[in-house]
Amino acid sequence: MSATPTNPPALAVHVRGVSKTFGTGETAVTALNGVDFTARQGELLMIVGPSGCGKTTLLSVIAGTLNFDCGELDVFGSPLHRLKPREITEFRKRHVGFIFQAFNLIPTLTCIENICVPLLIGGVSRRVAERKALALLDEVGLGSRGHERPTNLSGGQQQRIAIARALVHEPRLIICDEPTSALDKDTGAHIMDLLRNAARNPNRCVIVVTHDNRVFKYADRLTEMEDGRVQRVHDQGGNYDLSE
Amino acid sequence: MYHLALKMLLGDRAKYLMLVGGLTFATMLMTQQCGVFFGLLKWTTSHLSNMRAKLWVVDRKVEQANELKALRDTDVNRVRTVPGVAWAVPVYVTVQSAKLADGNFKPVMLVGLDNATLIGQPPVLLRGKLESVRLPNSVIVDELAVRRLSSGRAKPLDLGDTFELNDKEARIVGICRADKHFFGYPYVYSTYTQALQFAPKQRKMLSLILAEPAPGWSLDDAAAAIEAATGMKAYTEEKFFWATIWWYFKNTGIPIAFISTIALGFIVGMVISGQTFYAFVHENLRHLGALKAMGASNGLLVRMLLLQAFIVGFIGYGLGALLVVGFGRAAVARGEPPFMFPWQLPAATFCLVMSICALSAVLGIRKVVKVEPAIVFRG
Repeated sequence: MSATPTNPPALAVHVRGVSKTFGTGETAVTALNGVDFTARQGELLMIVGPSGCGKTTLLSVIAGTLNFDCGELDVFGSPLHRLKPREITEFRKRHVGFIFQAFNLIPTLTCIENICVPLLIGGVSRRVAERKALALLDEVGLGSRGHERPTNLSGGQQQRIAIARALVHEPRLIICDEPTSALDKDTGAHIMDLLRNAARNPNRCVIVVTHDNRVFKYADRLTEMEDGRVQRVHDQGGNYDLSE
Repeated sequence: MYHLALKMLLGDRAKYLMLVGGLTFATMLMTQQCGVFFGLLKWTTSHLSNMRAKLWVVDRKVEQANELKALRDTDVNRVRTVPGVAWAVPVYVTVQSAKLADGNFKPVMLVGLDNATLIGQPPVLLRGKLESVRLPNSVIVDELAVRRLSSGRAKPLDLGDTFELNDKEARIVGICRADKHFFGYPYVYSTYTQALQFAPKQRKMLSLILAEPAPGWSLDDAAAAIEAATGMKAYTEEKFFWATIWWYFKNTGIPIAFISTIALGFIVGMVISGQTFYAFVHENLRHLGALKAMGASNGLLVRMLLLQAFIVGFIGYGLGALLVVGFGRAAVARGEPPFMFPWQLPAATFCLVMSICALSAVLGIRKVVKVEPAIVFRG
């Protein structure tokens, strides 16, 4: 009896021929050079490659935080290349969660207040926002630290707060920039477990830019970049050999 | 988001205190210096507030209330005959020396009032009877005179006490409250006739004439009629007030000194708060960029920054105004330094402080509006 063919997951991100050059004239640097790229719903996709290959630029473009020169970009069916800046801001507010290498938690706010930020930006009331933040704090295992300031927490704990902040408004696209590079192996593994769980939502996509080969195994797919282009896409999860 | 904006500001204690301190200092300097300046200007018009009359007739060359040129005694009758004048009375104003018990001398402002009507009488009589000033060698002195002229005595001057005024005995029959003179002279009131006896004889002794328009005559029309008929200068009270103020503006360095200090207060406040707020925004730029990446619009971030700027403005202004009120109460209680606090002063200072806050916020806003959300991905 043959296996029933299943439809491939719908695309979350579809980048077609996107280019981005910084500067002009002799100092111009082409960061993206006609990039084609896809990310599927329900997957954790990693973008890897050497420094300066355009990973972070591609991530910024996908997140809607950086304009590109040419090409097309669809994120969950929304053509970002056609949207006005205000509509892109609105799109980010509703659909994108961010996790940064340096955490970017506001040090003068408590952990709960930091987590509330995306909800408050979205116009959710303070009471509802705090209730949701508390629930997420429990999920990331820091339920008792909500009223502390981030500076009192370890790097791993701060990144867990950042993950809670990225998930609190239930975005469909989670953008992670080097989320484990500032963390030790075990903490990095814990963070990747949380991100992998987040990506299990079939309506969500988690895109991670990383140098950290200790966490490649968590990727459902892995996209290799070089010189502003996508060189290879590894479709198999598990051990990636990037030496070729 | 606004409560988080405030927490971001309050959480950075050093900058918050610096901002509030700068604005408090600016508020205090601007308001206190303006208050002293206004008080000083008011002192220049103390003759007007202490004698109070609708029309002031003086020599035609007189430009301000503290620079009186003597008239002939008959001039008062000339004014009385002008149509449109209800009444006119002579006043003698001069600076004389009072001898203290310890042998020192102090200058006093001697005012001789019309014998019959005592028009120009002290504004507030605290003790004694006004009519007693008609008794021989009698004077009414103000509170400052009591303090100044009591030097060397076992107890302060009181009703019935005497002192030497230009080598003649003067007996105190009343104590009044009067606005201080610009040069700090105490006021001593007597009748016109007695004042002439206290003062050394001169060819012309009449200092000025106080008058009131007849019913149906406006102040300006009556003044114009007096000038036309007598060739003297007739000021309405308001015009004499402003002529005096403007004379000091134009002919002394006082306004420049005060305006420089007030401007300094504005500039110091602007520099401290502008620089501190800019540094606050600059240090938080990455966080503000992260908020932008998370979907905060420029409008929301601008409102957050304005809220932060104006909140420190309100607090700094409030503290500064409180300090000035404390200073003002002490100044009023002591009678010096000069101080005046009309409602327009705190209102104007409030506007200036808020403009400092707005300008400080603009520096930060320009930076925030320009920042790309992608800044959060840069190392």
